[in-house]
Amino acid sequence: MQRFIAFVVRFKNYITLGALVVICFAFMSFGSLSQLGGFRAVIVGSVGWMQSMFSWIPNPVALKSENLALRELNMQLSVESAKSRQSMVENATLRKMLDLPKYSDYGLIAADVVGKTTTQLRNYATINKGKKDGVEEGMSVVTDAGLVGLVIGVSDHYAVIQLMLNRDTRVASKIQRSRVDGIIAWEGENFLTLKNIPKSYDVQAGDAVITSSFSSRFPSNIVIGRVTQVTEENNSLFRRIVVDPAVNFATLEQVFVVEFVADAERLLLEQQSEEGSKQRTHR
Amino acid sequence: MSALNIPFDKSMFQANPPLRFVAYGVIAMLLSVIHVVFLRFVAVSSVTPDLLLILTVYIALVEGQFVGMFAGFASGILFDVVSTDVLGSNALAKTVAAFLAGYFFKQGFSVQTIGSYRFLLIVTLCGGVHNLLYFFFYVKPLQISFPMFFMTYGVATTLYTTVAAVFPMLIVNRSKEW
Repeated sequence: MQRFIAFVVRFKNYITLGALVVICFAFMSFGSLSQLGGFRAVIVGSVGWMQSMFSWIPNPVALKSENLALRELNMQLSVESAKSRQSMVENATLRKMLDLPKYSDYGLIAADVVGKTTTQLRNYATINKGKKDGVEEGMSVVTDAGLVGLVIGVSDHYAVIQLMLNRDTRVASKIQRSRVDGIIAWEGENFLTLKNIPKSYDVQAGDAVITSSFSSRFPSNIVIGRVTQVTEENNSLFRRIVVDPAVNFATLEQVFVVEFVADAERLLLEQQSEEGSKQRTHR
Repeated sequence: MSALNIPFDKSMFQANPPLRFVAYGVIAMLLSVIHVVFLRFVAVSSVTPDLLLILTVYIALVEGQFVGMFAGFASGILFDVVSTDVLGSNALAKTVAAFLAGYFFKQGFSVQTIGSYRFLLIVTLCGGVHNLLYFFFYVKPLQISFPMFFMTYGVATTLYTTVAAVFPMLIVNRSKEW
């Protein structure tokens, strides 16, 4: 026994290191903080409150960048405004003719971004609207430019958004021109990647990418970005498609939460089908 | 502190380890609040200095490897919680960084170590290992090159942390009682 105690005392630093590393791996296996439920809501509320207290302090670098982005956006919008006026008239006539169902109009909740958490591969933003303003977990967040992300945590007055630039984000999407479906993901660069597009499918640089009706989380037809590069890869059936996001995440300050929550019945059915498929595979 | 003419009995902390540990805890909380609320103002291409890593290295150099590892673990967990990162990722990196920093612990010579350029070298070494571990675990599941990503973010974060470590080094250097 004394020899054992002497051994432990002698190697206590290594034993402690080993024990702490095991505990860290155990924590990591829990996954993201979103699984800590109520505790996270308290942290989100506290952090959001602190960030909102100091949100009045201007950030000159961000303001300069935002100013430049707004000027560019203004120019683009003035050109597109004229085009869209013509398109609206044409669209209304065509809809009437084809008797297409009108898109559902969802309510929008305006919110200010009061904080951003930047941990290179997991980017989140905190907004100053929460449960009491009607924000719910699972709602999508947009700006006038396009899709920003998904609400993953809500307290009474604040909510945390998982941005598109987050390694956990996966969005069912499609090419607006050719209606080719794929999945948008982020791999740590300044751009998004459109995955699962076979080489034979029609995708070209300049194509707009929008959310697909296949998505159970996001409303369809929200702009995600524009294809900037299509590369043929050796030893792969698929193409590598680079998408420039429509939203400038570096200067994100005002957003809208879309009052759209995924259809619970659809999610339940998809989940049941997936579980059934897994069970059949195991048999 | 005495240089700032603030009535502060340093010996009270030196003679009372529990009080010192409470002080470390309070400083860690303050640094994590500073990280979440204010560091965005000094971010360069989304790279920010890791203040809690500097504190961890400091504690390991003052208290030794054993206490340093617990400090690294606790500050890592705190960082994971306030930054909504995966729980345990920073704790792992900071525990190992503290273990490494503990090898530079010399009983009775901590002020000399922290108040000199050696502190910066230790922070750079520990920061490098910390970021190597941290980015390894989170780049691994992705289809991107780890060396490239580490060279971009890991090295930049390490260097920025080293620059931030100049401030505690100068403060301790000024308060040295040779």
